[in-house]
Amino acid sequence: MRVLLLILTMLLTLGAVDAFAPSLAIADPIPAQAVNKPTRVNITKRSPHSDKIESKDTGMALLFWGFAAATLGGALFVVTRRNLIAAVMGMVGCFLGISAVYMMLYASFLSVIQMLVYAGAIMVLFVFVVMILNRPEDEPVAPTGRAGQAIGGLAIVYLVGRLIFMLMKVQPPNPLTAVQAPAPIELPGDILNTTEKVDWGSVKAVGWDLFGPGLFVFEAISILLLIAVVGAIAVARPLHEDQNNAGEPRDIPRDEAATNAEAAHSGGHA
Amino acid sequence: MSDILFNVGYGHFLVLAALLFLIGTAGVLIRRNALIILMSVELMLNAANMTLLTFSRMWGDISGHTFALIVIAVAAAEAAVGLAIVVAVFRGRRNVDVDRLTTLRH
Repeated sequence: MRVLLLILTMLLTLGAVDAFAPSLAIADPIPAQAVNKPTRVNITKRSPHSDKIESKDTGMALLFWGFAAATLGGALFVVTRRNLIAAVMGMVGCFLGISAVYMMLYASFLSVIQMLVYAGAIMVLFVFVVMILNRPEDEPVAPTGRAGQAIGGLAIVYLVGRLIFMLMKVQPPNPLTAVQAPAPIELPGDILNTTEKVDWGSVKAVGWDLFGPGLFVFEAISILLLIAVVGAIAVARPLHEDQNNAGEPRDIPRDEAATNAEAAHSGGHA
Repeated sequence: MSDILFNVGYGHFLVLAALLFLIGTAGVLIRRNALIILMSVELMLNAANMTLLTFSRMWGDISGHTFALIVIAVAAAEAAVGLAIVVAVFRGRRNVDVDRLTTLRH
């Protein structure tokens, strides 16, 4: 009896060691196998919060319809409102709906970025410019005749129909539907030739792709943003010979002021 | 019918993005205020982003997320430059009606 128990304990211990072997191998700094032959050891690290929620129930469908209604309603609000502040607020609602739809597409990082960049930064910029302008619109919609309206309406209906019929026929290449949890993607890990499974659309997955294959595009985008900032300042800077700014103190040197006056004189009428 | 209502698939997201793009196009075409036109352009960029994310999810390729991130950066740059142009135009002629910006036509 005691011998049997000993054998059972040994078997259980061996099983536990076998089960925890990957983590033990990761804890080992330099596996002997990796030093001798540089073949790929197939060690898989699971992410600590693996996304396993499969949500194909009615509640998720109702949530989708709600957020889709918020998105389209906000967009219609933008296009139809006469008041600029109301249009901006509709835009914020539209962006929040889009962010929730991104979350339903399991793009969690892009969802948060959408909320921060669009609903935060860009909308603040728009509100700022609306406050600078501070002028109600006389006639919001371009005047067209009845024939023009009919042609435009028919064109929009045709475009909507073609788009919807084309997109509804899109066959997914895998039988999963979009609300089911996507499989975690495997990334090549650290120097130990491990692979790591991270959640679909997480910061790690997107960052691996952005700083791996997309590194050049990332650098190009940073240069583009620099150019855009410099260009925005150069375009929106007030000309100092404008009569609206006559009361402002001038603290620029004389030669720069002369250059500005020359630029204003040559380019001010364009 | 209940299949369309309760079984949300890729087609739903694509149709939502298409409708968003259409609303943005209509805003660019029918409105005359330059600010509203800029906002409609942002709507169209967001619709393109949603399509990118849906196709990325559909094919299991994460590079669509990278592309969407780059589109967001380009949209931010476009908003900054566009709003600067709007402010410059407003400073010169006190309105931002795009139908009256006909100086370059003559």
